Amino acid sequence: MANTSRLYLTCIRNTLEAAMCLQNFPCQEVERHNKPEVELKTSPELLLNPVLICRNEAEKCLIDSSINSLRISLKVKQADELENILTKKFLRFLSMRAEAFQVLRRKPVQGYDISFLVTNYHCEEMQKHKLIDFIVQFMEDIDKEISELKLSVNTRGRLVATEFLKQFI
Amino acid sequence: MAAVSVHQFAQCITCHAWSPDHSMIALCPNNNEVHIYRLSEDDKWEKIHVLQKHDQIVSGVDWSISSNRIVTVSHDRNSYVWNQETTEWVPTLVILRLNRAALCVQWSPKENKFAVGSGAKTVCICYYEQENNWWVSKLIRKRHDSSVTSVAWHPNNILLATTSTDGKCRVFSTFIKGVDTRDSTGSSADSKFGEQIMQIDLSFCWAFGIKWSPSGNTFAYVGHNSMIYFVDDVGPSPSAQSVAFRDLPLRDVLFISERMVIGVGFDCNPMVFTADERGLWSFLRFLDERKIVSSSARYGSQFSETFGKFYSQSKYGTSNDTSEPSRRRGTAHENCINSILTMKKAGDSIATRFSTSGLDGKVVIWDLQSQKDLSEYL
Repeated sequence: MANTSRLYLTCIRNTLEAAMCLQNFPCQEVERHNKPEVELKTSPELLLNPVLICRNEAEKCLIDSSINSLRISLKVKQADELENILTKKFLRFLSMRAEAFQVLRRKPVQGYDISFLVTNYHCEEMQKHKLIDFIVQFMEDIDKEISELKLSVNTRGRLVATEFLKQFI
Repeated sequence: MAAVSVHQFAQCITCHAWSPDHSMIALCPNNNEVHIYRLSEDDKWEKIHVLQKHDQIVSGVDWSISSNRIVTVSHDRNSYVWNQETTEWVPTLVILRLNRAALCVQWSPKENKFAVGSGAKTVCICYYEQENNWWVSKLIRKRHDSSVTSVAWHPNNILLATTSTDGKCRVFSTFIKGVDTRDSTGSSADSKFGEQIMQIDLSFCWAFGIKWSPSGNTFAYVGHNSMIYFVDDVGPSPSAQSVAFRDLPLRDVLFISERMVIGVGFDCNPMVFTADERGLWSFLRFLDERKIVSSSARYGSQFSETFGKFYSQSKYGTSNDTSEPSRRRGTAHENCINSILTMKKAGDSIATRFSTSGLDGKVVIWDLQSQKDLSEYL
């Protein structure tokens, strides 16, 4: 699995490296404010063209960037209903603990499963390559984690069913 | 190696300025203070003053050479001029009349004016009013369509070049009656205050870091689309050159001579641009040699591991047993360089020394003397 998704992840890594050129930039519209422009979208000239990287229809990554912030939204592969439920529950669990991850957005962008919001403050206090590593690692691990969860749900289901049906023998 | 010395001052530096004799440095450690350090006898930097007056992050600082005054601007919309009286630095408020953050500041060559670029899409030209004992400002309004990111004075003390996040670069006349005299300025003296001499619209993205060449014939600025622009013949018919390069965008530039420009930015490594005999500019090389740190891609650490270690790791950059897929930078700076200043002494004809500061909290002093291949451009 690692080999097939390598190209997709490398593409995302390279795009992030180019997009993560952020700087401190105070709000032009509101006095004494300093907010991520990618969320406010008050001045169109401060936004860059969004980049959409698709592996297939089910797996894609949208990178919106602006002068002081960057938003990465992921759609994770969901082959069947079980995976769908697992992804939803698992990513919800993570999103609720967004503070612990610093760069995680509390709510995903519409149409995506999970979003990250990187601002210039993150780039100031963390190393850029480590941040990118974290996001790429996250994408890699999320697939693995979901398939592991799916396996254990199936195994457990089979065990429960066997135990339950034993009484009828 | 081109980097002469590396000094770690803080976690993050937004801007820095040198005292006239380069024995002291004023820098903002990414908060509302400006710290002044002095080099002591045993080659250590000691903090001697802390300038506290602003209440938001200080975005620009400049130290005048002959009058020994410091001007600071901040995101809190204010600016102060600091005068040294005996041992203390005494602030004077500047009435900027801004309603948005101030972003950059520079003293004019004669040091009787300074220019402030702001997020209010205006430029303030400030000068001292003797009778009221304060600094007043005149505004250039309604010329910029977005925040003014950088300002640069022409050596004649009248022309001011600005860059803005609308991607345009503009040159204004800043003649102020009673401050400037007509006879000293030559051809540009006919224009009134705030008159736009020219506007250059080359970049499709935000423009930053404008500087004039020592003679004032050429200026250079950078765009966020990894381009650097050189403009000659400032006036009604300017000629411009755009140079694209393959690396990350630049933030600031510095003219070493008429034929050599150093650019610094997100690539953490100063880039050298030179002009050939015909005046064509091109990218020559990186200034700092890059030591390739081994980057073995070993994937597959556990999710839970990443959770716990991410924060501490990315914050302090300690590499432990986990994999390290991306390349580490083996250069003097480890994060974006956001300002570059010349360290020209009063008597020097050409300054080969300059300093850079960046988001990694380091100030690096560079010397081009040892770079044999660059000497022909000095």
